[in-house]
Amino acid sequence: MRALDRKLLRDLRRQSAQGAAIALVLACGVAILLMSVGLSRALEETRAAYYERNRFADVFASVRRVPRTLLPEIAALPGVLAVEARIEGAAVLDLPGRTEAAQARVLSLPADGGEPALNLPLLREGRWPDPESAAEVAVNEPFARANGFRPGDSFTAILDGRARVLTITGIALSPEFIYTIGPGAMMPDNAGYGILWLSDRAAAAAFGMQGAFSTVALSLWAGAPEGPVIDALDRLLAPFGAVGAHGRDAQMSNAFLDAEITQLRTIAAILPPVFLVITTYLVGMVMGRIVELERAEIGLLKALGYGRGAILGQYMALSAGVAMAGVLLGWVLGTVLSQAMARLYAQYFDFPFLIFGLSPGVYALSAVLGLAAAMLGALRASLRAAALPPAVAMAPPVPPSYRRGIADRALTALRPSQPTLMILRGLLRWPLRTALSILGLALAVSVLVASNFFPDALDFLVDQSFNLGNRQEAILILGAEAPEGALMAVARLPGVLQAEGQSVAPVRLTHGPRQKTATLEARRPGADLARIVTTDGRTVEPPAGGLLLSERLAAALDAAPGDMIEVALLARGGEVHALPLAGTVPLYFGLGAWTDLDTFSRLLREAPRISAAGVTLDRAAEAEFHAAVKGLPGVAGTILLDRNVAAFRDTIGENVLVVTSIYAFLGIVITAGVAYNGARIQMSERARELASLRILGFSRGEVSYVLVGETMLLALLAQPPGWWIGAAVARLLTDSFASDLYSVPLVLNPATFAQASLVCLLAAFAAAMVVRRRIDRLDLVAVLKTRE
Amino acid sequence: METQVQPVFRTEGLTRIYTSGEVAVRALDGVDLTLEAGAFTVLLGASGSGKSTLLNILGGLDRATAGRVWFRDTEITGASDAALTRFRRDHVGFVFQFYNLIASLTARENVQLVTDVARNPMPPEEALDLVDMGHRIDHFPAQLSGGEQQRVAIARAIAKRPDVLLCDEPTGALDSRTGVRVLEALAAVNDRFGTTTVVITHNAAIRAMAHRVIRFADGRVAEVTENARRLPPSAIDW
Repeated sequence: MRALDRKLLRDLRRQSAQGAAIALVLACGVAILLMSVGLSRALEETRAAYYERNRFADVFASVRRVPRTLLPEIAALPGVLAVEARIEGAAVLDLPGRTEAAQARVLSLPADGGEPALNLPLLREGRWPDPESAAEVAVNEPFARANGFRPGDSFTAILDGRARVLTITGIALSPEFIYTIGPGAMMPDNAGYGILWLSDRAAAAAFGMQGAFSTVALSLWAGAPEGPVIDALDRLLAPFGAVGAHGRDAQMSNAFLDAEITQLRTIAAILPPVFLVITTYLVGMVMGRIVELERAEIGLLKALGYGRGAILGQYMALSAGVAMAGVLLGWVLGTVLSQAMARLYAQYFDFPFLIFGLSPGVYALSAVLGLAAAMLGALRASLRAAALPPAVAMAPPVPPSYRRGIADRALTALRPSQPTLMILRGLLRWPLRTALSILGLALAVSVLVASNFFPDALDFLVDQSFNLGNRQEAILILGAEAPEGALMAVARLPGVLQAEGQSVAPVRLTHGPRQKTATLEARRPGADLARIVTTDGRTVEPPAGGLLLSERLAAALDAAPGDMIEVALLARGGEVHALPLAGTVPLYFGLGAWTDLDTFSRLLREAPRISAAGVTLDRAAEAEFHAAVKGLPGVAGTILLDRNVAAFRDTIGENVLVVTSIYAFLGIVITAGVAYNGARIQMSERARELASLRILGFSRGEVSYVLVGETMLLALLAQPPGWWIGAAVARLLTDSFASDLYSVPLVLNPATFAQASLVCLLAAFAAAMVVRRRIDRLDLVAVLKTRE
Repeated sequence: METQVQPVFRTEGLTRIYTSGEVAVRALDGVDLTLEAGAFTVLLGASGSGKSTLLNILGGLDRATAGRVWFRDTEITGASDAALTRFRRDHVGFVFQFYNLIASLTARENVQLVTDVARNPMPPEEALDLVDMGHRIDHFPAQLSGGEQQRVAIARAIAKRPDVLLCDEPTGALDSRTGVRVLEALAAVNDRFGTTTVVITHNAAIRAMAHRVIRFADGRVAEVTENARRLPPSAIDW
């Protein structure tokens, strides 16, 4: 080994604490990069493979009832590769051991007992129901697992008002239900919502669909645009009560996956660069100091005949060594983190397999970025070292010169103590370094703010949507529209305290060239349970004679109040009415559209009818209520909102805890990395001055004040910009999380900022205190006898 | 020569052994010494003879391995770190070869550093006037020459009216003309306030201005001489 290499290794060892602090920051960046890129790729690749193997369709359409004889026409549409039609319906389930009714979506299997051409479910256990049997069923795996069902178990299903006992023969997964969410629910409720596969015969009999189908799925030739196919299919199905065909983007399970992948990509784009930038800055700061301390050695090496290249290589290699340590640690952390997150994801997404191999490319990319960040930081100091003329290098460095500027006069006018003056002048003397240190700490605060705001946002969301907006405890979905008088029957159910009805209709809204499919809710004004509560907490009444749209929906239609909107009633053969847009409301969930029930009825030229009823319940009579609902023929399903909220809080809460802890750790690592390195450099630069103070009779505590005070002052100064950047990052995150399905409110409570600041200040203080111990070990005599 | 009865420092069998690895170096080897109040003492000796070690122990910067040290009636051997800090703050002024001024503080502020915490200090301006630095009071160290910096260091050492002034090679980094001005400052303080002054030097010429000269060799006192007649610093040249 060459002597120079040996020097390099020893230097690395000597700087190990500072190197470790930098490596840890870099490791976090690398780990997050691996985690977010790895996870989004895993989701995409797993989904792609699953879709491909199980022939996930490209276009979907729901109708009321279409004769199977129309299928050849659909198959003949240009661009269509395969067609699969089936019968779909809703069922209410009476599960053994469960008080309240569960809900299910019923899907028919091909009549010939063969495989469906598209959306092929994957049998995980048991066998498919016998095509001739009306009493056998296959259920989706999450539902089976949540209820402890095995093949051979039975439960009661109410199909179109008729109860029948079904026996489970098989358990399956489907590419259509990677993310399974019941109608009106916010989170998956695996125990309360299932997918049932029935034989074609059984389904046709249950829903009166002999020789007909109610949903159709198409796959397209590679490269065939879906727009024209959707339009052609809509034209073909229009007479049959089509609700509007859509592509994969509006398929619920697929849309949730898309949203998740987008979020992961956002994280990959925002966070790793923060860590890389801080790494660059820290390496630059530390290397600058090392070169300053080693001036004499550099001069000596040059005097001995080592060239610029050798010196440059020496310092670049030192930073590369630190970077490699960071990258390796990051690889380990990232791999562990990815696997932990993948397990967390497996709770939400039901894949039969998970393709989770972090590709070597991602590892290589993270290594290249990490090395580049560190070496970029070292470049300036290394070039300065390489350019030092030997004679100058071996002479002591010029002492830092201070001058009295305007800022300084202002400072001294405040008559601070001398140690305080030392701190303040030190910060003013190197304004760039001070600014960068503040920026580094501010980024740490911002990471903490941006991660902390999430729980508050969710609390707010739940409060707005449920405690204020939807105060009904349960919603009964009626199988068919009923006269408003049916509400009386609902109100008479045992345990019902309050009942409100509304009409819910699938519509296609058109404004100029823009179209959007949505759900129109028609209500009576003055509703007490289901209310439209805006993001700023106002309650808005459904307007008489016009439409009220959520801002998200109005924006998608490019419509402003006063514009006429074409409303196509999809469940009524697409009959079109025009309504003026009366107003828009900011909302967090869904693409809402509302109107007054009387207005709606007038459009339809009929007496007011309702399709859903919201109720509040007497807790004591809840069991009776559920028992009564289970036997009620007109009820297609029950949504239990309080159960929904509890599920939402539980799952999200657990998630948030994991994610918030990770971010808190990241914030602490950044703070500690910046504060520790800053304090170490200050300690090195000030060793002599601090020793002088000790000799002049200042106690350890008083001397520590200079060191710790500077770090803490920097940390304090970093708070306001940190809050600001954190709020901006939080806004960026909420913007990127907004989808057709929901948006996340930006809720920034003072406590969020306070917590972030507290964590940052404590971490900075701890880092400074670690360095402070060096004051105890200061060799007063040695420091003062030697020349700098 | 003035005769002072009360000793400021007294040592008994003072021994300091430095161990580095397997080598033990006996820097001080049983030194018995008395330094009287108001005396101007010069310590001479080759490098490694033990004079700096003695100064550091007297000033509370270092601890003895064996033996005892008294400051007036108080024994400082075995004193706690806090007590030694207190002792330095209240009684001792130090001057070093490399001035050790705080770069970010002006001349006045460097002196203030001490006067802010001392019990009975003189105003910083007065201390700086004493060493003839009154005209550069608002300059930062980087704006001062070596001799000027050393005089600010002396002002900083004397501003608290210390009982003892311990100087380790105060002129070591200076040329003859500048060095003389620094010595004049030291002599003025000694004359005017009766501050017990101990100066370490390699420069034998300086011995002429001392009351007493102690020569060190191999960690022991080799020779003590009293000057019957002292020369003023201006008469010294090297």
